[in-house]
Amino acid sequence: MSKTSRTVVSMPKTATKGEIVPIRVIVQHDMESGFRHTERGVRVARDIIRDFVCIYDGAEVFRAELHPAMGANPTFSFFTKATQTGTLEFKWTGDNGYASSVTSSLTVT
Amino acid sequence: MSTSRRSFIVALGSASVVPWLNAQATTSEAVETIKKIVGQAEPRVGRVTLEIAPLVENGNLVPMTVLAESPMTSTDFVKAIHIISEKNPLPNIVSFNFGARAGRAQVSTRIRLLTSQRLWAIAEMNDGSFWQGHADTVVTLAACTEDVLV
Repeated sequence: MSKTSRTVVSMPKTATKGEIVPIRVIVQHDMESGFRHTERGVRVARDIIRDFVCIYDGAEVFRAELHPAMGANPTFSFFTKATQTGTLEFKWTGDNGYASSVTSSLTVT
Repeated sequence: MSTSRRSFIVALGSASVVPWLNAQATTSEAVETIKKIVGQAEPRVGRVTLEIAPLVENGNLVPMTVLAESPMTSTDFVKAIHIISEKNPLPNIVSFNFGARAGRAQVSTRIRLLTSQRLWAIAEMNDGSFWQGHADTVVTLAACTEDVLV
């Protein structure tokens, strides 16, 4: 797996103050579990994303700790409460120096 | 790709089903993992719902939703939800941490399941109490066992 990969964040662009905003994220990653073997019986080394975090308005609203039992191309649907206009930062980190990050802006009225 | 008789037998013996069977977490390992999460506290049953299809065709990508009942205010919110497996090679599947502004303690994702089993969801509230829920599922095609890489 390369050191970074494609990510998609899907969420509304605007929200009213106090509204609960749904967020869906997906990241391209094989999530090699470390439990598979080659034809010759050699174990394939683990290579997964370990951590995902969403930061909004200066605070961590959601974090996930991933283990090999997460499916390939990990996706999460979660929520946050709209407090003020700003950017949401999404960060993934993993084995072998993997890192991805993306930001998305939310206008709160 | 041509496979010689010898390499086929090597693959059969060492690569396919055997390591997976050995690598299964037992129910007691799941219990140990839950103990590590809750510490001295005693998890109570309720407030957490784990939704997963009762019959799963392919264990490689199983949709799952977990939901904890909480007002999610700054004084009363869910701190974390842990998903624990009975029979995967490792008992931990995924852990979610929520901030007070998460709005709703609900997450959907996709996981891998080795075989038919019970899954546990352990929720940690900000007051230090723990709640648990579980779901049973039947898996017809296990994750990974068919994967022999070249």
